[in-house]
Amino acid sequence: MNRSLAEKSKAFFKSWEFVLLVILCLEIVVFATKNPKFLKPAVLLGSLNDIISICIISLFVTFCMITGGIDIQAGSIVGLTSIIIGVSWQDFGFNIWTAVILSVLIAAVCGALSGYFVAYCDVQPMVVTLGGSFLYAGIALLISNLSATASYKGISGFPDSFKFISKYRFGDVLPLQVVIFLVLTVIAHILLKKTKYGRMIFLVGINKNAAEYSGINSKLVMMSAYILSAISASIAGIILTSYLGTAKSDLGATFTLQIITACVLGGTLSTGGKGSAIGTGLAAVVIGVLKFGLPLSFGVNQQYMDIPVGALLLIVVICRSLATNPKVVALTHKTQKAAIKKGSVKESLKAL
Amino acid sequence: MKALKRFTKAREAGSIIFLVLLVLLVGALNPAFLAPASLLSCLNDSVVFTLLAVGIAFVILTGEIDVSIGATMGMSAAVAATILRDGGSWMTAFVMAIIVGAVVGLINGWGVSIMRIPSLIFTLGVNGLTRGMIYVYTTGAWVENLPGSFTKLANVKLIGHLTVFYAVTFTGVLAANYVTNHTKHGRYFTAVGDNISGAALVGIPTTGTKITAYVLCGIFAALAGMAYTSRIGFVTPTAGNGYEMKAIAACVLGGVALTGGQGTLLGAAIGAIIMSSISRILVFMGFSSDYDNTLTGIMLIVIVVVTTVMQNREIIRNHHEILLARTSEELKTVQEGA
Repeated sequence: MNRSLAEKSKAFFKSWEFVLLVILCLEIVVFATKNPKFLKPAVLLGSLNDIISICIISLFVTFCMITGGIDIQAGSIVGLTSIIIGVSWQDFGFNIWTAVILSVLIAAVCGALSGYFVAYCDVQPMVVTLGGSFLYAGIALLISNLSATASYKGISGFPDSFKFISKYRFGDVLPLQVVIFLVLTVIAHILLKKTKYGRMIFLVGINKNAAEYSGINSKLVMMSAYILSAISASIAGIILTSYLGTAKSDLGATFTLQIITACVLGGTLSTGGKGSAIGTGLAAVVIGVLKFGLPLSFGVNQQYMDIPVGALLLIVVICRSLATNPKVVALTHKTQKAAIKKGSVKESLKAL
Repeated sequence: MKALKRFTKAREAGSIIFLVLLVLLVGALNPAFLAPASLLSCLNDSVVFTLLAVGIAFVILTGEIDVSIGATMGMSAAVAATILRDGGSWMTAFVMAIIVGAVVGLINGWGVSIMRIPSLIFTLGVNGLTRGMIYVYTTGAWVENLPGSFTKLANVKLIGHLTVFYAVTFTGVLAANYVTNHTKHGRYFTAVGDNISGAALVGIPTTGTKITAYVLCGIFAALAGMAYTSRIGFVTPTAGNGYEMKAIAACVLGGVALTGGQGTLLGAAIGAIIMSSISRILVFMGFSSDYDNTLTGIMLIVIVVVTTVMQNREIIRNHHEILLARTSEELKTVQEGA
């Protein structure tokens, strides 16, 4: 079972993660040649600040997609988390950390509710989480009405200890929130690839019935994926609230499409059974650097950022579709066969 | 009696009954809601959502999804509004809007049915591109100062309080509903969504049907964009943002199954009425319209969960009946043999 290092690295060079890494390097090289400021460590690492929530959420939405589902409610859970922290801290007088824990718990309950409907009632994940996205955004708005502050203003003035999450930089360079993202990526990767739980997630996504017959409580596994993605959304909500310094109910309302873009770009199959945390994380970083670098280096208007992200997604899926197209596959097979034949002729000549 | 039985079996029956009950309930709490003017303005307000929901229903019936209609609608609205603002004729604006919608639909159809890319992902990408194109096209500015003759169009009444817009839309929906339910080619959409391999085996052009569905969806989104422009009177670059989710929700409320092959266009139109009257209902019930999203979410989840659970029970019951019938037959043969 122990593969040699050479085999492992060969597999890596063929993997989708490697392609993403190449795209990322290309992006950095192109942006840096146009604007050398881009290479400053503080700038480069800080480029992720604006998109860190999407990076974090997409890691765990990948779990849902691997089980064959989808989670489009994560964006509204970000707003719900944010407003719960704000209202319970400002208007109910909770300690800020109690408020944070409360918000994570409520988010987990929200995820569990949707997960229950998906797993135990067999309702389509897309519909349930669509309903969830309306419901939780609505609840967030209602909670914001409990506050003395007008909802459009947002609740601000959080204590420094809370702002610390987003303001602190290791050695004045590496932001704490980026470290949190990296740690979560590692956790998600270990969960998916190194634990029994991860194997269950994959098996449920590949064949739910087979998973059920082999003694896996597939319903619980599916539900857990939604709980995890809701918790990740609440973590993103905490970081975003700290980063912006204000708690608003509509934070994260526009995240949904970007989250799914990151998951798909990361190589997750929307039909389930395939995906990786590293891939999703890399894809999210690719999107983040693109959205940060284009305005900085090429002066592209921030408003146009939907175009490159959309184009990137389309190019990737079209290329991938072409690569699996039977005609194209047959073509590459032919050239491979031809190469093998040539090789064998040479070898036989050598043997002579 | 037969007609009644057929009605109760139809998928949109639940939504119609739900709508009637909802109206009666709100009417009981606040009789002012039952005034014709109030009820008709519920209908008049639903024009944009009805067009979007019916358009996306074509795609959902074939078992795919289109999350780019919000951007398509915004793009068509921006193109039409710019032409009108610059003094172009209505006809040019109308035709250009339709062309924009059809082209986006064609791209979606190509990606989904020819390139075989999962529809959610492909239309997501197209959504981003189209939304970005709106910003490029309008340079991020609002399109304002439309001719008054165009913006007044939305308020032209046909009979009493019923606007011409809704009357035309509803007639169109009824016609489309008839075509998809009662003509050979119209049934293709449902057939493809119900069982694509089966449909291909009996000679239905599955690829063509899906592309048609997407083009129709784009055209309906363009019509919705025109209606939106006329009603609102200006177009912002964010016009139609998030409408795709509301249109999908309207379809689900109207009994169109997201798995494809089940539901009718009429159902989608009724779902759109429910969807767009929620905020009005809230006001009549004495709640703030802030409850809008919460109520939509609860309704969506409850309706979907209840229908799914009931369907699954029926499937299990049918399965049991089949098994029972089989075992009793086997018993008979055994007994006869003995």
